[in-house]
Amino acid sequence: MRTQGLLLVVALTLSTVPAPALAASKARNPDSYTYLTISDSDSLDPAYSYDTSSQLIILNIYEPLFQFVKSSTEKLVPLAAAQVPSRENGLISADERTYTIPMRTGVKFHDGTAMTAEDAKWSLLRFMLLDRAAGPSSLLLEPLLGYASTRDDDGKILPNVWADANRAVGTQGDNLILRLPRPYAPILSILASWSPILPKDWAIKNGDWDGNEASWRKYNNPSKETSPFFERANGTGPFKLDRWDRQTKEFILTRNDDYWRAPAKIKNVVIKGVSEFGTRKLMLQAGDADAIYADRPLLTQLQGIPGVEIIDDLSTLEMNPVVFFTYMINAVANSFLGSGKLDGNGIPPEFFSDKDVRKAFAYSFDYKGFINDVMRGKGTQATGAIPKSLPGHNPKGKKYQLDKKKAEEHFRKAYDGKLWEQGFKFTIAFNSGNLPRQTVCQILKRNIEAMNPKFKIDVRAIEWPTFLDNYKSSKMPIFVMGWNADYPDPHNFAFALLHSKGDYPATQKFKNPEFDRLVEESNALTDMTKRKAIYAKLQDLAFEEVPQLYILDAIRYRTQRDWVKGWYHNPIFPDSPYGSYFYTLSKD
Amino acid sequence: MTKLLSIWRALKRRPMSLLGAALIGFFLSVAALAPVLAPPEPGSRDAYIIPQTGYSPDPVRPSREHWFGTTEQQYDLYYGMVWGTRTAFKVAFKVVGFSVSIGVLLGGAAGFYGGWIDECIMRLTDIVLAFPDLVLAVVIVAIMGPSLEHVMYAVMAVSWPPYARLMRGDVMSVKERDFIAAARALGACDARILLRHIIPNSIYPVLVVASLSTGSVVITAAALSFLGLGAPVGYADWGQLISLSRNWLLGSAGNPFEYWHTVLIPGITIFMFVLGWNLLGDAVRDILDPRQK
Amino acid sequence: MLKFCLKRLAFLPLVMFGVTFLLFCCLQFLTPEMRASLYIKDPRQLSQLDAVIEKYGLRKPMPVQYYIWLKQVVHGDLGYSETAKMPVAAAIAAFFPATFELTVLTFLPIIIVGVFFGVISAVYRDSLIDHITRFVAITGYSLPSFVLGLVLLMVFYGRLHWFPPGRYTLETDMLVHADTFRHYTGLLTFDCLLNGEGGAYVDVVKHMVLPAATLLYISVALLLRITRSSMLEELSKDYVRTARAKGLPESVIIYKHALANALIPVVTLSSLLFIGLLGGVVITETVFDFPGIGRWGVQAAQQLDVPGVLGSTMLAASLFVTANLISDILYAVVDPRIRVGN
Repeated sequence: MRTQGLLLVVALTLSTVPAPALAASKARNPDSYTYLTISDSDSLDPAYSYDTSSQLIILNIYEPLFQFVKSSTEKLVPLAAAQVPSRENGLISADERTYTIPMRTGVKFHDGTAMTAEDAKWSLLRFMLLDRAAGPSSLLLEPLLGYASTRDDDGKILPNVWADANRAVGTQGDNLILRLPRPYAPILSILASWSPILPKDWAIKNGDWDGNEASWRKYNNPSKETSPFFERANGTGPFKLDRWDRQTKEFILTRNDDYWRAPAKIKNVVIKGVSEFGTRKLMLQAGDADAIYADRPLLTQLQGIPGVEIIDDLSTLEMNPVVFFTYMINAVANSFLGSGKLDGNGIPPEFFSDKDVRKAFAYSFDYKGFINDVMRGKGTQATGAIPKSLPGHNPKGKKYQLDKKKAEEHFRKAYDGKLWEQGFKFTIAFNSGNLPRQTVCQILKRNIEAMNPKFKIDVRAIEWPTFLDNYKSSKMPIFVMGWNADYPDPHNFAFALLHSKGDYPATQKFKNPEFDRLVEESNALTDMTKRKAIYAKLQDLAFEEVPQLYILDAIRYRTQRDWVKGWYHNPIFPDSPYGSYFYTLSKD
Repeated sequence: MTKLLSIWRALKRRPMSLLGAALIGFFLSVAALAPVLAPPEPGSRDAYIIPQTGYSPDPVRPSREHWFGTTEQQYDLYYGMVWGTRTAFKVAFKVVGFSVSIGVLLGGAAGFYGGWIDECIMRLTDIVLAFPDLVLAVVIVAIMGPSLEHVMYAVMAVSWPPYARLMRGDVMSVKERDFIAAARALGACDARILLRHIIPNSIYPVLVVASLSTGSVVITAAALSFLGLGAPVGYADWGQLISLSRNWLLGSAGNPFEYWHTVLIPGITIFMFVLGWNLLGDAVRDILDPRQK
Repeated sequence: MLKFCLKRLAFLPLVMFGVTFLLFCCLQFLTPEMRASLYIKDPRQLSQLDAVIEKYGLRKPMPVQYYIWLKQVVHGDLGYSETAKMPVAAAIAAFFPATFELTVLTFLPIIIVGVFFGVISAVYRDSLIDHITRFVAITGYSLPSFVLGLVLLMVFYGRLHWFPPGRYTLETDMLVHADTFRHYTGLLTFDCLLNGEGGAYVDVVKHMVLPAATLLYISVALLLRITRSSMLEELSKDYVRTARAKGLPESVIIYKHALANALIPVVTLSSLLFIGLLGGVVITETVFDFPGIGRWGVQAAQQLDVPGVLGSTMLAASLFVTANLISDILYAVVDPRIRVGN
């Protein structure tokens, strides 16, 4: 013991010795920028990858048609396109179904060939037709073709996909023409993230789809490693891919000196996966990293390090965590339910279809306490399914507060008083390793159990595979998850959380025709004022219905060396605010 | 009884062994007195779940309220250490007990009978030995959910082969001795010879190794917790408590000692526990192993 | 001897089969939905669960999947590891040399330190130096490796900037991936020397010092204990007493006679220790961000990447069999009393 103590004392004493020669303002490696993340990338093929860390690389190598201006989530600037279509400039037709998008000329891919409207058409078609299982293709299929998949439930390719896709995407000289089956409000917002332009000729040369009808089926739902875009890249963006080292989990990007705008200021960018927080912190402290991933609970560990800057209060496009109630629990071989009856040792499968039970739970959660303790007082309580950073968010929307009296009232009312008399017992599950979600479960348990000694809730951590299995079969009475936006439009949240065909309501077995109608109606309108009114109504209805508990409108913070200049925040960037658009960055 | 007395006399002569016995005795009494030393909160259904006083991520240093301070998420470290003693013994005894029994039985049979029985058992042992235990632990956790018990099944499943090998070797050498031949000549049956004569005379090396690995089971639990595979968060388990220090080990800017308690308290406890079993293991060898006299 | 070696090597396929069969028996309990979690990481993908199960053929019963996998392996294809994002064979080729190098670098110091202090504490049994040595060894043994790793990293990297984490710096990274750099052995240290890149060699070694030191401290206790007890046993034997009675100098008795015999179990154990090191580096690799095989194997298991798990398990198993064989051969070489195979 003495020796161990001694060892630690020596080690710690040494560690208080000031670090040698690290002047605060002089940047180490001024030419290169290093970002340390925790996540793994899946594939660099823009039509394949659907994870933030691959998307971050794609953002910096390829260019979509448009990009959001600075921090805006509404206003667009053209990137690969030359103009943003609008009703005013006549590029959107009167029926709001035809979009004419003039392409930028004089733009070159990294291999030196010129980008054309044909490349754009091919890229969009490929994005939709590739349609790998659990990939991003539905984001374009839905607005452009009117259905979310190229295949039916049995995995067979639908007969009219090719015809529909070619009707939807076409060219006219240097213009890309999109024809929608019906007006679709968020289409431009979707294109701003999900339309990277790929080089058609280079792709064909490397064995990819040749753009013909005869061969496209062969490329539908592919294995990722067969794509030439899997680990190589050839885009028009400000950086070129030098190497993806899958052994050391790092990407090395180099500057594109032939970029159509002024070349980037940084010469090399390294994005590296380092899973241990302590290691990331030390590398940032030493100046070997310029920015690192770190979430809220670790904030105090990063404060006060000389030369390290913390930029807080950054908005997000996420609704996380959310508590979901399952209206009709699958009781087959289900250990979450207890006895399966309202006898004090379990709950019946339809337990949460009772509105009073849901409301009682809503009044039992300590929203303020959660934000103060877990989020260190940062962020605000969510007022509905749509986060603060998006239009359609209603800041005056009604929200639940911790109110034990009201909770008790509803518990007493539920099941004609039988619930209060008999009590209940069931298990809440969260996927292990997620601290905020775990705390949500613990707070619910503590508050509800304190109300009546017959109320018993067990909190159980389960691994992601098991979680997925139980999720799919609707076995969990309550589960805690979240939603991150694909594109900055309220529809993305409203559909996923409130429409009966959305992912979560489908599992919750929650269906309300009025909700479905409102979500669809708003999506067909382009007038934001009208849409906002509909979303406000939807949020009021959701407050009354309580299919889910919205807890937090999250804000995040970024940790970077103070020599990093030119960074700006936009919540739509993948891995924001840690990852970023490297084009504007510089070091001094 | 006389044997016990002689052990005690031998212990007294060796202060280090005495220290080992004292340490284990101390931990045993802490485990036994856990409900008195750290009474569970009224109404809690599982005493092994450490009470939380809030949910703040920052550990709090020791105070009058929390003698050992709190870990991240405000788990009371004192409570965790006290009840964790029970967990440590429970897990260690279960794992070591199980693997020693399996190892002694299989190794004993292999050494005693020889021939194809030996061949089969030893090939099985080889296959299990060649199996990476962490991988098995991970798969079991994925199937059954994260819990210390489930992980221990995995550890049990792969930790018996060394005992089996050790036992087999010793049985083979004991088997050849004269008194076995004598017993056989007197008409003793196989089971009697094996249980009465061979196992008692060849089990010391196994016991020594067993007492040494009893302590290290706690370290294995810590490693598994680090990988997110051990006890669920909040369960009183030393391994997990020391794992909770991982993000706080480096202290805060300018003060590396800021969160010293999160690592030193569980660290020293685990060290004492391992040390206790080590010294005890040495004592067992020195006293019982005839070869070392 | 040769016959013995061949017999043991012939045993290798059986172990492989046994190990993978055991693994598949465990995997039997996984539902297709659970296995689909390898491809579904984000709530946005949840609606596609069935499509994913369909695509990767996860609904087939496990025995069928085992059969398909075995057929693939017979044709020399180990499958594709989703966690490594490369074929299993390529992943082994990428991750194994790094870990192997680290283990080799750690192994020699462990033997030297372990044997030296083991002998010292046996010779000076129950003296202060014996107690201190064993105390220090037990601290290493009872210290979770991530605690030691992070403290070392804090001091020697965070404060002193001597030994950074990772595999190499960006310059070395660029250098070893340049077209002009030839990969002769796959072992980076050797390749750097063979290419005449002294600077890169120093850089690579510098990155291995801390993980090696951590491994050394954590694993030296075992060897030390075995050397000590083996030495004690030899010193109590009759021939030592006879030698002492004859008046031979103590140093000759200890170092020439007793040590030679005491080292026999140490030598045979060392190959198993080597394997133990190879398998025990997971946490060290994580803390020091060292891209090795341990991290990959555990990650594959955690994400239920079945081809990855099978690949890393088979590698571990074959290494184990090889090490066992080497251990037996060494045993025969150092101990003339034993003739293997009889």
